[in-house]
Amino acid sequence: MLELRNLCKFYDTHGAERAVLRDVNATFWKGDAVGILGRNGAGKSTLIRILAGIESPSSGQVIRGMSVSWPLGFGGAVHGSITGADNARFIARIYGKPTGWVESFVEEFAELGEYYRMPVKTYSAGMSSRLAFGLSMAIDFDCYLVDEVIAVGDARFTERCRIALEERRRRSTLLLVSHQAGILRSFCTTAAILNQGTLTFHEDMDQALATYEAL
Amino acid sequence: MAALRLQSAVIGAIMLREIHTRFGRHNLGYVWLFIEPMILAFCIAGLHKISGHGMPGGVDPLAFYIVGYTPYYLFRSILNRAAGALQANAPLFYHRQVSFIDVLIARNLLDVGAVLFALIVMLAGNGVVTGEWPDDPVWLAIGVMLIAAFCHGVSLLIVAATAWGVETVERVVHPLTYLMIPLTGAFIAVWWFPAEVQEIALLNPSIHMFEIIREGQFGVAVPHHYSWGYVLASIAIANVMGLIAMRAGRRHIALQ
Repeated sequence: MLELRNLCKFYDTHGAERAVLRDVNATFWKGDAVGILGRNGAGKSTLIRILAGIESPSSGQVIRGMSVSWPLGFGGAVHGSITGADNARFIARIYGKPTGWVESFVEEFAELGEYYRMPVKTYSAGMSSRLAFGLSMAIDFDCYLVDEVIAVGDARFTERCRIALEERRRRSTLLLVSHQAGILRSFCTTAAILNQGTLTFHEDMDQALATYEAL
Repeated sequence: MAALRLQSAVIGAIMLREIHTRFGRHNLGYVWLFIEPMILAFCIAGLHKISGHGMPGGVDPLAFYIVGYTPYYLFRSILNRAAGALQANAPLFYHRQVSFIDVLIARNLLDVGAVLFALIVMLAGNGVVTGEWPDDPVWLAIGVMLIAAFCHGVSLLIVAATAWGVETVERVVHPLTYLMIPLTGAFIAVWWFPAEVQEIALLNPSIHMFEIIREGQFGVAVPHHYSWGYVLASIAIANVMGLIAMRAGRRHIALQ
């Protein structure tokens, strides 16, 4: 279970405080697959970063009753000046997994070919996201936080991600940020809309998408 | 206990990663670690030789500048690189178990390891050529580690200050480390000065540490002035202040 209690986040913009998240309350359970919708700048990435524990809320609490992944996004958690394989070994070390196993798992999952042993800064956006996704799949999390990353992959990779996440569905939670109705429909069962600092849940995906488009 | 094991695994992993990014597989960054202090030591020792003026107390000038400049290199490296340390490692903080302080510990440990290695190689070379071996190499190494411990505390303060902007802090810290060259005690021995000046010089903690290093090299051939109480107290104060500042500044440090 992953719970948010009275969560608020403010940012300083030109001396004035701007509320990005206002009193957000939510509970995510095992098996949930929630799509998070919101306009650009609505605070989706901030919410994901707070859930991941890499940013702290201004007030309120995040209660993590399960292991939560780092936010999977464009690059982000991967380091550009070292190779994909070096990144895999680094992740293995800090999450206490066998380095050799993680290295070969990611190599197979991300299908980067010889680029796997080249610095990540030479990768295309699609290749970086394949690496990032592969790295997170090598570590077993209870909850995966995915920020748009699937959207940049080609059809073959998107399918691979879907299968990988589907396999973990029964024991994992998925929170996915995306603007694309197609991706949300194929990965998520419910949706939540983040607008003006409030998070509203919708049990029905069609209803959620319709509400979002009307914003 | 488990937390400590996790933290040391994280620090170890960051160190391995730093070795790759800094010393790289293709660049020769680490060579400068040897070349820079050696150029300075050889040039100044050469000037002493040509001018015919020895060092006060008749100590070996080459050794004097090696044990002065190499630890100063560590001092400057830790402080100058502190401000940019977090930006350079921003991707690491996507992992909850990696803290700002872990990154600084890893980088500073790597720095002190590299500098100790360079120092051993140079002093051994000097020993073979001139027959001037360190009087107590362990004592000398302890002195270098004291400098690292003190600079670690100061580097926490510098990183906390980057809440006001990395560039601002770098513009202040870089000139200061150069202005500090004559003041650190890397190239001056306390006993050269009259008692009143000694008293003022010994207000600076780093002078004590350089005196300990020189005692490791030259033994009792010349007098050395330092106070263990002052050294340990300043290391403790620097680190406690650093940790408090990091606690306060952490939330305000913006990373991409």
